[in-house]
Amino acid sequence: MAIISLNYAYLERLTGTDRKTILERLPMIGSDIERTFDDHVDVEFFPDRVDLYSTEGVARAMRGFLGIEEGLPEYPVTPSGISFTVDPALRQIRPYLGSAVIRNVRLDEAGIESLMGLQESLHWAIGRGRRKVAIGVHDLDRVRPPFRYLAAPRDRRFVPLDFQEELSMEEILERHPKGRDYAHLVDAFDRFPLIVDADENVLSFPPIINGELTKVTTETRNILLDCTGTDPKSVRMAAHIICTALAEAGATIESVDIDGTPYPDLSPVERIVSVDTCRRLIGIDIDAEEMAALLRKMRFGAEPLPDGKLRVLVPPYRADIMHDWDIFEDVAVAYGFDNIDAALPQTFTTGKEHPIAVVERQVRSILTGLGYLEVMPFTLTSERVLYGQMRRETSPDLLRVSKPISEDQSVVRTEILPLLMEILEINCHRELPQRLFATGDIIRGVKTMQSVAAVSIHPGADFSEAYAMMDAFCRECGLSPEFVESADPAFIEGRRGDVLVDGKKVGVFGEVHPEVLVAFSLEHPVAALELDLRAVPGYPARPGTP
Amino acid sequence: MADLTLNEKRLLVALAPMGEGSAAALAAALGTTEEAAVQHAHLCADRGLAAVTRTSAKTYSLTPEGTEYREHGLPERQILDSFEGSISMKDLQGHPLSRIGIGWLRKKGWIAITKGVAEKTGEAAPGEDEVALADPKEGMPGIAELLKRNLVEEHEEVAYRIAITPEGRALVAAGLDLVEETGTLTREQILDGSWRTANLRKYSLSTPPKRVWPGKSHPYQRIIDEVKRILLDMGFVEMQGEIVLSAFWDFDALFQPQDHPAREMQDTFYLDMKEPLPAGYEGVRDMHEHGGTTSSTGWGGVWSTEVPQQCVLRTHTTPFSIRYLIDHPEPPVKAFALGRVYRREAIDPTHTPEFEQLEGIVMDEDVSFRHLLGYLKEFYGRMGFENVRFRPGYFPYTEPSVEPEVWVDGLGWVELGGAGIFREEVTAPWGIETPVLAWGLGISRVAMLKLGLKDLRQLYRSDIDWIRESPVIRKEE
Repeated sequence: MAIISLNYAYLERLTGTDRKTILERLPMIGSDIERTFDDHVDVEFFPDRVDLYSTEGVARAMRGFLGIEEGLPEYPVTPSGISFTVDPALRQIRPYLGSAVIRNVRLDEAGIESLMGLQESLHWAIGRGRRKVAIGVHDLDRVRPPFRYLAAPRDRRFVPLDFQEELSMEEILERHPKGRDYAHLVDAFDRFPLIVDADENVLSFPPIINGELTKVTTETRNILLDCTGTDPKSVRMAAHIICTALAEAGATIESVDIDGTPYPDLSPVERIVSVDTCRRLIGIDIDAEEMAALLRKMRFGAEPLPDGKLRVLVPPYRADIMHDWDIFEDVAVAYGFDNIDAALPQTFTTGKEHPIAVVERQVRSILTGLGYLEVMPFTLTSERVLYGQMRRETSPDLLRVSKPISEDQSVVRTEILPLLMEILEINCHRELPQRLFATGDIIRGVKTMQSVAAVSIHPGADFSEAYAMMDAFCRECGLSPEFVESADPAFIEGRRGDVLVDGKKVGVFGEVHPEVLVAFSLEHPVAALELDLRAVPGYPARPGTP
Repeated sequence: MADLTLNEKRLLVALAPMGEGSAAALAAALGTTEEAAVQHAHLCADRGLAAVTRTSAKTYSLTPEGTEYREHGLPERQILDSFEGSISMKDLQGHPLSRIGIGWLRKKGWIAITKGVAEKTGEAAPGEDEVALADPKEGMPGIAELLKRNLVEEHEEVAYRIAITPEGRALVAAGLDLVEETGTLTREQILDGSWRTANLRKYSLSTPPKRVWPGKSHPYQRIIDEVKRILLDMGFVEMQGEIVLSAFWDFDALFQPQDHPAREMQDTFYLDMKEPLPAGYEGVRDMHEHGGTTSSTGWGGVWSTEVPQQCVLRTHTTPFSIRYLIDHPEPPVKAFALGRVYRREAIDPTHTPEFEQLEGIVMDEDVSFRHLLGYLKEFYGRMGFENVRFRPGYFPYTEPSVEPEVWVDGLGWVELGGAGIFREEVTAPWGIETPVLAWGLGISRVAMLKLGLKDLRQLYRSDIDWIRESPVIRKEE
């Protein structure tokens, strides 16, 4: 999500209405008001609506939504006569270039702030941290066309933005804050991308930093836009967003010849959509004319066609319109979600609990009946808690997280008992006796399965208690187990047992080893048990969706 | 006063002729121990029927070492008496008690040492400690010193005197029956009918009872069960699935672009392992690259076959839905999943790396966005949220998308989940042509609202007292 600062005075000037009205309706086009201040508001927009990442874009949308100015915005583009060439050596480095000349710019501090904010938000949303696309805006009057986008030697020098002295491109990557942030995007290459004018003045070092020479200020009247990147669609979209935002601020757009092709093309995209499909998807009864009117509020061009179709013109800045249904969603937004008559369909089906959930519910009932309190410990834990403190060898089925946030969330549990011991540790100052159980998912290898474990801590806890509880639990589960001597090191030798069902080990019980007690800072004996729920009758042979 | 215990009555009866007596005398009269007599006397005193006076006295006895010194004098006194005027330190240290005594000689100022020679100072009058040593008694100034030197041991003797009060006398005069009192009925008393004449003890309700705690399910599990009951009653079938998934199912099959920041909206726990792409993955690839045969343009670019093989801990329960639909392609389908999901977040009061998420889907002919809103209103209504409103939302796999908000008194409108209709790019690769309504929400958020919790961690690393004290039947505020 992107948080955009909207200056009230600028927003009111661009929309022609007051801030109260705007703030009231803004959530209805899909946004969250994050915080309001005296002179501006911070609004969170969705990552698909990059056209709203500037005050100009929000104003354009709101003028439509509020009925002030509807229909498709027009963005005429006239040739600038300026040309740009692209060095073939960039093909493996950063091959795509978008550009435009933007004239008659009148940017006050709020306008510049909006433009810089828009650039950074686009770098995040479309540019993926500038990898796919990076944007530069330059004061055109300080440089002389034609312009070249070339692969330059690493030792090429220029004065980077906000610096006084010349640095080589290599030095910029080491010493400039932006250089350090984005070095990883270019430092593998022999040569670096560079944009220069006819006099060899540097405009920018994409995607790292602009030159100081062409810095945009409140004095700037004409802008040269550069969008460079690794993906042509993203480059084109970024150029469209910047051009249309500045056009909304009163500028005029001129095209640049890039290796002979004029750029940008701000024509709308045409889609022929079905009125009936929209009606059926949204569930509202509107005719073609009504649908067209709603789309005009959302700044589309829209015109009914004879056969129940609509000709929709999608503005060049709507990066999110990929499918006909995206247009239908805008119809619903314009209609107003709260105006849609919500209704349940006549779909009769029978509910059914998943068999694994049935087993877990029954197990829960047995253990609460035996006097145990349920806890719900985390699935992520540490190898220390899961094995080390339990005196057990680490299982080959243990899964480790690639980049854990901390040791405490570094592995996925393969049993539940260690986590119950940890809950006892957390509660060592609470009144005894404490009898706790947990049931839930464990993961061994890549398989998800379920287990149940129970612990009892009090001065008289002993093997007999664990044995009696496991026996009662198995009986209530409908199991006929065989109990044999266990070798599990977590329990005291001679006071531990394994549970065999059909000759296969499915559980363990006993009196917890004092070394384990000490490892968990416990001062009283613990009787404990754990059982694999796959052994319980009713557990499905093929778990997963039924 | 009919509720006096038998022991209290017997004490008063024995005390009345004495008027006052020591604990020992009273114990003898009652045929019991002094401790018991004092305990019962205190109970009577609590009712104003007797008065108990406690006195304590300290007595002292000599330790074996103390006894020896009383007979022969303290070590420093013995040394002092062993020489005239002055003595060399060398000779002085030859005395058997020098190790103890020399320090005390200097401390008491009985000798002065210069140039290796000890001279008597002439100041050697018997000290308080020597006086106390002869016959140690409480209050003597020298006792403290002797205690420190472990020459004397202190004993505290506590004595009680119990007196009857006028109220007690009046009660005895009125007559007290001394029948044995019954606590727990015995089998014999029940069988032979002697309970009729037994003196059954009465119990006070002014003292709270001993607290007992039942075994019971976790408060959060009870909320999960409530939610499940709602969906089962609405005709939804429960789904479950794997926790470890390939990124194909967690992201790509749900039309999430491989490098779009939306993937960062769900910070992911990656595992160092891969799972091969499933049969039919080509349809998903086509959707991403160019939209296949739908009206979609797709995301464009080249879809990597490597990226989606990476395994992750599931970040949501939505993958269950698409796999369920693949296995159950005939409408109508209504299904839900309620399970734990994993997000790479540090733990704080409102964030945990694991939490429970609910996912529901409806696939049927002729269902629409209007019906989705209907299901949401019905579902949230049954959850106890009467006021529901809808805002546009965004999710990569649904279109239209909506965010339900519910009104919570004291909090205002609270966003509770997200919903939408599965994009055609999600359903078309598997041949699903019927519309699919879908919604999800974090159940732990619901639990915080319903349980009044301020700290999410309490759900997972629970204080047992919180679980004990959470009643099974909750009052709705």
